[in-house]
Amino acid sequence: MAKLIELKGLSKSFDGEKVLNAIDLYIRDGEFITLLGPSGCGKTTMLRIIGGFETADEGRLLFEGTDIGHVPAYKRHINTVFQKYALFPHLNVYENIAFPLRLKKVKEDDIQQRVTDMLKMVALSGFENKSVSTLSGGQQQRVAIARALISHPRVLLLDEPLGALDLKLRKDMQNELKTIQKAIGITFIYVTHDQEEALSMSDTVVVMADGEIQQIGTPTDIYNEPKNAFVADFIGESNIVDGIMLEDKKVKFSSHIFDCVDGGFAKNEAVDVVVRPEDVDVVEPSRGMLTGQVTSVTFKGVHYEIIVDIGGFKWMIQSTDYVAPDAYIGLYIEPDAIHIMKKSKYSGKFGDYSSFSDELDRLSDAELAEEF
Amino acid sequence: MQQLDIPKKKPSFMRTIAAAPHIVWAVMFIVLPLIVVVWYAFTDAEGHVSFENIAGLSDYADTFLLSLELSVIATFVCLLIGYPLAYMMARAPKHRQKFLVMLLMLPMWTNLLIRTYSIMAILDDGGFLNTLLGTDLHIIGTKGAVIFGMVYDFLPYMVLPIYTCISKIDRHMWEAAEDLGCTPFQVIRKVILPLSTSGVVSGVTMVLVPSISTFYISQKLGGGTFELIGDTIERQFVSGALNTGAAISFIMMLLILLSLAIMNRFTDADEGGVIV
Repeated sequence: MAKLIELKGLSKSFDGEKVLNAIDLYIRDGEFITLLGPSGCGKTTMLRIIGGFETADEGRLLFEGTDIGHVPAYKRHINTVFQKYALFPHLNVYENIAFPLRLKKVKEDDIQQRVTDMLKMVALSGFENKSVSTLSGGQQQRVAIARALISHPRVLLLDEPLGALDLKLRKDMQNELKTIQKAIGITFIYVTHDQEEALSMSDTVVVMADGEIQQIGTPTDIYNEPKNAFVADFIGESNIVDGIMLEDKKVKFSSHIFDCVDGGFAKNEAVDVVVRPEDVDVVEPSRGMLTGQVTSVTFKGVHYEIIVDIGGFKWMIQSTDYVAPDAYIGLYIEPDAIHIMKKSKYSGKFGDYSSFSDELDRLSDAELAEEF
Repeated sequence: MQQLDIPKKKPSFMRTIAAAPHIVWAVMFIVLPLIVVVWYAFTDAEGHVSFENIAGLSDYADTFLLSLELSVIATFVCLLIGYPLAYMMARAPKHRQKFLVMLLMLPMWTNLLIRTYSIMAILDDGGFLNTLLGTDLHIIGTKGAVIFGMVYDFLPYMVLPIYTCISKIDRHMWEAAEDLGCTPFQVIRKVILPLSTSGVVSGVTMVLVPSISTFYISQKLGGGTFELIGDTIERQFVSGALNTGAAISFIMMLLILLSLAIMNRFTDADEGGVIV
């Protein structure tokens, strides 16, 4: 796939505060790429620069090799699906979708054909004459998608498009968006703070924090090989402990020496060790590599979420078997479940479940209320 | 089991008490005067029911048409000036908008009569403008002067509702329009203008109604050369012809109500378009 959009050293500040810091990124033609990160990480600003609603302070924005940094939004072959849909209330469903075609003075027969096809694609046939204000959130979203796609843009930008929908509808729309993207084969650039959404839909995930790109990769890469403590923590649940790389494939943490599969570190280099909660097996204390006392057990439906105190550090373990609170248990970890990362500025900030609560976890959803 | 005693909800006494002053006010100063006007319109000087007042109104048709002509022109000019002004105000940075609204309101802190007098002093034959330019223009007494006075006095009533309406349009509407291919001008024509019709209708109403019934502006700036319907009404009352004055007022009210009803059809009911 050829490079379609390229960001070179892109920076942007608002009121002296750096929102994007020298971003380098390329986006291939036809891929589904997701910008993922917490509130204020700069992902929406990046999308708005690509869409033409903001101008970067520094750096270049290339579209097929030409600088489009100062090309106004209406001249770009890039359309946007806004978080709050932004449908025109004075037009009905049909006219909303036909809007871009009318601007281009497309013939009436063509318009009718294309709008009908588009409505079929987003499963809204028969809604032509409805007023947009009578539609549900999901239906409005579909109209917005149809309206953004009808003029055959090269790129579709989606700014948290499913943020306002309920969980069930969100799942359906995720599948549908993916299907639409595959069917028409254009580039989708998707912004979200929901890691699950990012993992399940994207070809490429760009994890962002503090105005910088933390990692770019396929969903599996990002999940299995997180580059630093931030990524490991933001994508899924992670236990992140301090470790010492004794030699290749030997790491010491929590006073125990483990076999692992990573290498290429200096002798006795301090590292961050990531172990996913679902990769830890609960065993008898005598057979465990580590032992500790269970401090809490929460039933989550598919599994139990168990917090274990191991030498003062609290681990999260997901297990389908119940363990009683206060019990002593042993932990067994396979070598390939241990992932070693270099130390970064995020080391020590994440991955300890001492202060863990669902409530804190949900704070990242506060982004829904974010207003630029 | 003992039945819990849940009191039924009925209009509370306190609420009735609280609303009372407003009701008394409305009856005394709105309903009663209206009844008096209607009563006078349909009676003669001796207090007998009579339709002569209404029947005799055709004499004033020319005056009425002239009032209509001048006020429609003034409203149109207000719209031409007011819409772009309101648009620019709504697009200005937030902190500057307050200042601009204050500038717009500032002349309204001065009494309408005084403002009209000032215009007279400026436009008069030997007035400020002619002195300044060293010319001998005759402006007072022309239709132009009256229209100018109406526009000057009532422009804020056009700008404010439109400004409020445009500034309430979600920023994403502008962006979506631009995103979908609108040039900056098309954004205004295809999206902003249709979404601000309710503001335009309010503005038009709020300028047209006072313009059509004004008597002061036409007296001062018209230089006594022509009479508008407001002047006619005033003259009837001053000269003691209460019944004729009431009849003209009554018909004026009907006409204004009718035009409001027509204008309301242009706005969505839920937007609550016309304020008057």
